[in-house]
Amino acid sequence: MAPVVPRSGDSIFANLEHVNAELFTLTYGAIVRQLITDLEEVDEVNKQLDQMGYNIGVRLIDEFLAKSNISRCVDFKETAEVIAKVGFKMFLGVTASVINWDADGTSCSIVLEDNPLVDFVELPDNCQGLHYCNILSGVLRGALEMVSMKTEVTWVRDMLRGDDVYELNVKLLKQVPEEYPYKDDE
Amino acid sequence: MVREVAESCVDSLLTEMVASYCNRFYANKPELAARRIEAIGYQVGHQLSERYTMERPRFSDHLEAIKFICKDFWTELFKKQIDNLKTNHRGTFVLQDNKFPWLERISIDPLTDKVNSAEDATTAENKATSTISMHLYYPCGIIRGALSNLGITCAVTADISNLPACSFVVRVKA
Amino acid sequence: MIVCVAVVGHQNNPLYIQSFTEADDALKLHHIVHCSLDVVDERVNNPKKTGPLLNETFLGLLYPIENFKVYGYLTNTKVKFILVTTDLDVKDADVRNFFRRFHAAYVDAVSNPFHVPGKKITSRTFAERVSTIVKSFGLSSAV
Repeated sequence: MAPVVPRSGDSIFANLEHVNAELFTLTYGAIVRQLITDLEEVDEVNKQLDQMGYNIGVRLIDEFLAKSNISRCVDFKETAEVIAKVGFKMFLGVTASVINWDADGTSCSIVLEDNPLVDFVELPDNCQGLHYCNILSGVLRGALEMVSMKTEVTWVRDMLRGDDVYELNVKLLKQVPEEYPYKDDE
Repeated sequence: MVREVAESCVDSLLTEMVASYCNRFYANKPELAARRIEAIGYQVGHQLSERYTMERPRFSDHLEAIKFICKDFWTELFKKQIDNLKTNHRGTFVLQDNKFPWLERISIDPLTDKVNSAEDATTAENKATSTISMHLYYPCGIIRGALSNLGITCAVTADISNLPACSFVVRVKA
Repeated sequence: MIVCVAVVGHQNNPLYIQSFTEADDALKLHHIVHCSLDVVDERVNNPKKTGPLLNETFLGLLYPIENFKVYGYLTNTKVKFILVTTDLDVKDADVRNFFRRFHAAYVDAVSNPFHVPGKKITSRTFAERVSTIVKSFGLSSAV
């Protein structure tokens, strides 16, 4: 039997409730600016954005699995594809691609050419160490952890720093065996 | 075409923003947390009123600007208008939303899982109310920022004595 | 040809001013912009009772001076946009179209989370967009 093909991100996105991206974009921007004022250190801001993302990812995974009809991905490779093709489209309305797989299939890059978080943003000179979109890496890490994949997510390229795309490296550290067999009873 | 994101993006971001400020950055200083959340809203409101008043004639008085907040501005944010607007004609405006979407959708952290005594229940209820209040500093800030950019200096508070209705009270400073 | 554009805050504080001439007359253009602010105030405080056009953001021709024509626009947030051109035969629709695009660029610039309201606009993106809008002025009246 052929594996269940998840619905495309486009069709799921079309069926979800939407809001103007402006509200989302500006809210995120105001949060980042306020964090810089309150925490002072850019490194600390990066850390807290990642933490906020992690907490969001942990919660968002349920909605993702439910709305995308994805039961469970077979391996890390398939998971990465689903995140890029379905996940980003479903929530942010943009498509990502997966590149640069290593030989043993435990590390890859997710590439975004466009991203609503950064509309209108220009980094000031004193914020050059800021990973403005760091919340995204946290979301990925948090969501993956909930499907038993411990990962490390780092920025490789950042358009706000002059690169041509956004590139996140996702490295699988450990795949925890399935812990919740009783979930099938629902 | 106007760019859109899933509603849950905004909801998750707001929930996490409030949680971070209240539980991590200013865990023991709720007044400071409240002020920061309000400031974030203020910046967003300030920016949004610039955007949403493009290509429309200038408002000639406070009431016109407030009506704009109730109708077009609210519709951009929530796809519905404010349900009821009252004013004492002396600078106080009450904007009532009968079912404020962010209170409907935002998950309040579960606090009531182990309620054993009446006292616990009261504590839990107080805690839930204060969590809701924390969430409301954000829209209050948005309204204050939007009006401020339209030349109206004011204070904005929220009244949730009739949940799920929520009233935003705008007091214009002379 | 547009020779100068400016954005001026609600306390008449300059937020952005850029001239587009080869000639060394930046100072003169700045002076023209400065003088036009009074005309804007006067225009707004003593509106012509022209029905639906009351409080319209587009203020039209503020005044002609020497070889220049100066046009004005006032947003709901009391930010003034000034346009100085050397064209003698200017179409109203072109000026309106210019201000509409200029306003949109301004709104995006102040949506940068790091922009501080009331401070000068230093965005390179904004400068580039304005330059594009200025260059295409009058080329098509498409609205």
